[in-house]
Amino acid sequence: MKTTVMGSYPKIPAGPGPNVRTAIQRFERGLLPPSQLFEIYHQVIGRVLNLAVETQLDRTTDGQIRWYDLFDPVVRDLDNVQSAGLIRLFDNNFYVRHPLITGRLQYQGGTLAAWCRESSSLSPVPLKVALPGLFTFLEMAEDKSYVDQDVLLDDLVDVMRLTIRYLAETGVVEVQWDEPSLARAKTPPSLSRIQHAYQSLLNAVPGIDQSIFLYWGQSASWFEGLSSLPFAGIYLDVVSDPRVLDVLSQNKLDLEIGLGVLDARNVRMEDPHAVLRTLEPVLHKQGTKNIWIHPSCGLEFLPPDRAEQKVRLLQTIKSLIE
Amino acid sequence: MAQYLLTTSVGSFPKPNKLLTARSQFRRNQISLDELREVEEEATRRVIALQEELGIDILVHGEMERGDMVAYFAENWRGFSESLPVRSYGNRYYRKPIVENVVALGDSVGLTVQSWKKAAALTRRPMKGMLTGPYTICDWSFNAFYPDRRALTIDLAHLVHDEALALQNAGATYIQIDEPAISTRPEELDLAIEAMAIVTDGLSAKTISHICYGDFETILPGLFDLPVDQLDLEAANQQFALLDLLARYSWPTSKELALGVVDVHSHRIESIDEVKAGIRRALEIIPLANLLIDPDCGLKTRTWDEAEQKLRVMAQAVQEIREEDGLQ
Repeated sequence: MKTTVMGSYPKIPAGPGPNVRTAIQRFERGLLPPSQLFEIYHQVIGRVLNLAVETQLDRTTDGQIRWYDLFDPVVRDLDNVQSAGLIRLFDNNFYVRHPLITGRLQYQGGTLAAWCRESSSLSPVPLKVALPGLFTFLEMAEDKSYVDQDVLLDDLVDVMRLTIRYLAETGVVEVQWDEPSLARAKTPPSLSRIQHAYQSLLNAVPGIDQSIFLYWGQSASWFEGLSSLPFAGIYLDVVSDPRVLDVLSQNKLDLEIGLGVLDARNVRMEDPHAVLRTLEPVLHKQGTKNIWIHPSCGLEFLPPDRAEQKVRLLQTIKSLIE
Repeated sequence: MAQYLLTTSVGSFPKPNKLLTARSQFRRNQISLDELREVEEEATRRVIALQEELGIDILVHGEMERGDMVAYFAENWRGFSESLPVRSYGNRYYRKPIVENVVALGDSVGLTVQSWKKAAALTRRPMKGMLTGPYTICDWSFNAFYPDRRALTIDLAHLVHDEALALQNAGATYIQIDEPAISTRPEELDLAIEAMAIVTDGLSAKTISHICYGDFETILPGLFDLPVDQLDLEAANQQFALLDLLARYSWPTSKELALGVVDVHSHRIESIDEVKAGIRRALEIIPLANLLIDPDCGLKTRTWDEAEQKLRVMAQAVQEIREEDGLQ
């Protein structure tokens, strides 16, 4: 069994240490030069990666420390898209700047690759990057330009292919497509539309894993359709949809499966033995080799002390199995 | 007070640097509570003076004594502890409450009454009593105690009701119960309505619920059943797209709409013309007698200058429409 985290991590420390929040405040007041703000980001990324090393994660993100939100680096890298007004991120008391599409999407690149290159150079643990999935991006975006939504989707696939191509040169080993909107959708896009779009994306670049992560909703119903695509893995939020454990304890899948067993939106700490008992039927069916365990989503919805405890808990659970 | 297109403010105002410093000093035991209160009251006087100068009809006190709309109640009521800061957007963080026991008012019955009384005494205009709704307090807390969200929300509703009653007994004729979280889980709208019914039960004061940054499409027209007299909704942040949605329904005659016409999360100061255009669009679907005008949300995330300019634009836009349409 392997362990990983899923995206964001608190930008502030639980105790003393470099602090992005304070640094930005000082920067905005003219008390910190840009170079020192940059250095603080660098140090905080280092702290996230050190925790990954210390807790022996098998794969990690950089905590998205430089990111304003999930959409930020993608928007920065596209022409004719800008960060617009704040909107609530699904059912969280957390707000993102929604992408505003003002013209035909065009890949400009630069930001995400630079940020990933920096993190990759700092990370002894294999690094992955979580990006907004195609359908989550489209749901959160405001389109002022395209008449035909199929054309928009095709263009989005095309610019994301370029995004991956340039990420492959940064040392990142995996792109994780975050698709909470699929898990939450009352009237989801057709499976054929999803399969067609992701098939094009998955064929983009060899040498970099691509996975999909369904969270904050119902994901059990997506297994069959998504497992037919050549994703390297499917990550699932078990906290929001415990039924996935039933499905996985009955049907063997031939791909890597991630199980978000730790609630990343509640401070309550799970009992590692209870988690293990919950996992046992799945491990019995799937074996341990292809199973990842992880928090149910990015950890930035927790205060920094609890976020760190949840990461450490992953190590404890893994050790119980080993 | 004007007869039509009454203007109001939503809740918080930016805290002056002097107050931020005082709050920090108080946390470090460098100044007394009385000294902190003095600075808060000075800031409150400034908030009220600005609103009066701009001719705002129904005032707020600016919430200078509150750090966060949920944490403020959690800090003072029983059953909660406080987390380290959690980010809500950009560089904004709040200490998210942790529910660790049965929630209760404890010694804090009438928590908001004193600040309301002091603010109300500074003006002859109506002063809103400001509360946070039970559904939002539940949603924006970590629940580490109650078996489910419903049990916590209903318990909180009784506490908020007691607070609303205390405000009314103190003389408040407008009581605003903010529920910005109400649209986050459309499947729980009935719970939020049930909880609000507990809060507003038996109140004779005008009741208002402010809701922002939500997916209104998922909760309309059910939201019209929220048992308050006025819904206060943000619109400017999404370029008044809310109005296209509201146009699909017949606005309930028994309810007022306070419409947000300036974006409180943008540094850009809106033009008078664009605010007027938004109001005119609203007048096409909301009866004149039911429409009030305000900012999208509390102004605490803006600088004082930005907040003042946005309110000034709003007030001027309303004044011009009143004059153009003979609504004086």
